[in-house]
Amino acid sequence: MDAKLKRYEKIEFLGEGQFATVYKAKDTETDTIVAVKKIKVGSRAEAKDGINRTALREIKLLQELKHPNIIGLRDVFGHKSNVSLVFDFMDTDLEVIIKDNSIVLTPANVKAYILMTLQGLEYLHVNWILHRDLKPNNLLVNSKGILKIGDFGLAKFYGSPNRIYTHQVVTRWYRSPELLFGARMYATGVDMWATGCILAELLLRVPFLPGETDLDQLTRIFQTLGTPTEEMWQGVSQLPAYVQFKMFVGTPLKHIFSAASDDLLDLLEKLLSMNPNKRCTCDAALQMPYFRNKPYPTPGPQLPLPSSIKPRAEEKPNLKRKIFEAAEGALYSKRLIF
Amino acid sequence: MKDVIDVMQLQREKGRLRVPPIDYRQSQSHFTATRYIFECGVKLEAQPLTIATAAILYHRFFKEADSSNYDCFLIAATTLYLAGKVEDDQIKIRDVINVTHNTLHRGSAPLELGDEYWNMRDAIVQAELLLMRMLKFEVTCVHPHKYMFHYLKTLEGWFNKADWRKVPLVQASASFLQDFHHDSAILDYKPQHTAIACINLALQVYGVRVPIVDEIEGLEWFSVFCDDLASEKMWEIMEKVMDVYNKEPEED
Repeated sequence: MDAKLKRYEKIEFLGEGQFATVYKAKDTETDTIVAVKKIKVGSRAEAKDGINRTALREIKLLQELKHPNIIGLRDVFGHKSNVSLVFDFMDTDLEVIIKDNSIVLTPANVKAYILMTLQGLEYLHVNWILHRDLKPNNLLVNSKGILKIGDFGLAKFYGSPNRIYTHQVVTRWYRSPELLFGARMYATGVDMWATGCILAELLLRVPFLPGETDLDQLTRIFQTLGTPTEEMWQGVSQLPAYVQFKMFVGTPLKHIFSAASDDLLDLLEKLLSMNPNKRCTCDAALQMPYFRNKPYPTPGPQLPLPSSIKPRAEEKPNLKRKIFEAAEGALYSKRLIF
Repeated sequence: MKDVIDVMQLQREKGRLRVPPIDYRQSQSHFTATRYIFECGVKLEAQPLTIATAAILYHRFFKEADSSNYDCFLIAATTLYLAGKVEDDQIKIRDVINVTHNTLHRGSAPLELGDEYWNMRDAIVQAELLLMRMLKFEVTCVHPHKYMFHYLKTLEGWFNKADWRKVPLVQASASFLQDFHHDSAILDYKPQHTAIACINLALQVYGVRVPIVDEIEGLEWFSVFCDDLASEKMWEIMEKVMDVYNKEPEED
């Protein structure tokens, strides 16, 4: 296994999560840049439980998945009591892009990102896998402008009727109302809701529903989209953590996203449907007019990137490009404020 | 200590069983070690698929490793613990240690939280990583069970109800499948093929003919389920399943 350690040359430290540290490394065998995720051994008590369940779940699922919009697991190796996962290297993520004020996201850019997200998600759902932790931070983007869904630590097979799931999944801001009400049987709707929140965030450039507590999260959802009734959503009052809320009528999406096109609002409305059974599936979403209408999604290489990421090697800046950029700059000089 | 499996209680209940408890230390073989996996798995209240995964992981490990280098009961205990993680079946390491220890050393008291306990815990955790590496981190198992379920469900529709109820085909097929997990030969066949062979063995044992299809020359009942299984291959698997019963150590 020491051969594996030598195979991947550490370049730099990239980040640290709850269960792992991630390094940028060079795969000396293929001469490509990869991300190595080293699962933390953590405290003594944790080490005594052996291989981390989250990591094992991620390994198991990703070994079987292969799709351009799903992060690729290239290799797994163990050294001493560590386990390391080798992934495709991704330059940035959607959270960074959304927060970067120097980046302008055109309607075509937004369409491209959400299209790639839905295509990756559709593949997962077709394979009976729920991601359960979709958020901008987990939608990784490489320098070619390809978006890949990452972080499968919470992902799970679904569909078995007798499986009871935990509702403590998904980062709160992207958590669907049925999860917040403590539902133990849920399906693809939880990922669709999260996708709706991400689409809204791409338009607003700030989190759509940034709740501070679970209760505050529900309040925000209902204030914005209206309080659900038993007529709209049969069985809602039977959910384990159901609480009666004040009746809000909600704000029409048109007023919140005043610059958004009607076809986009249609999609958003379907993704953010309060009743999980009425929320649209990936397949239905991809069939909606929004994806057929103009503007067409921006091709990957033309999507904006944070300035910290080195310019694409293959596109050496030349005079022509400068002129083009200047023209483009004029076009986008005013940032759209929704 | 409600959340810990009471091994002493299990032992008292054991007295009521027909089969006398096996002293695993007397005969160390892969057969007994797999039997040990099944006994411990049942005591741990693991799902049947979790136990099947443990058995498969066990055989895959010893396909790579020399059995004289490893304690097969430690590996067996580890496969149960790992299978719990693989199948998302909550099996606690403390229960694994208590149950496997008590099954190997029958009549002994549960381990105190002392050196022996912690050493065993260390051993399992280390063996788990060894297993993962030996198996190249590929621990997903596709089991014959789900295929068998669908084949039997379909077959049921071909029989008239009274005939179907007359013989315990479902139970027999499932038993053959479970027992086949005691032999590493199970690794050599596709899950679909294994499922069909176990069902066919049950049909043979009870002398049951599948209606309609059996009367047509050259047509096998399973050809609608699986188009890449030749009759010879199926008989080969059936013989391997029957072989398992010859490997069972003689009772005193």
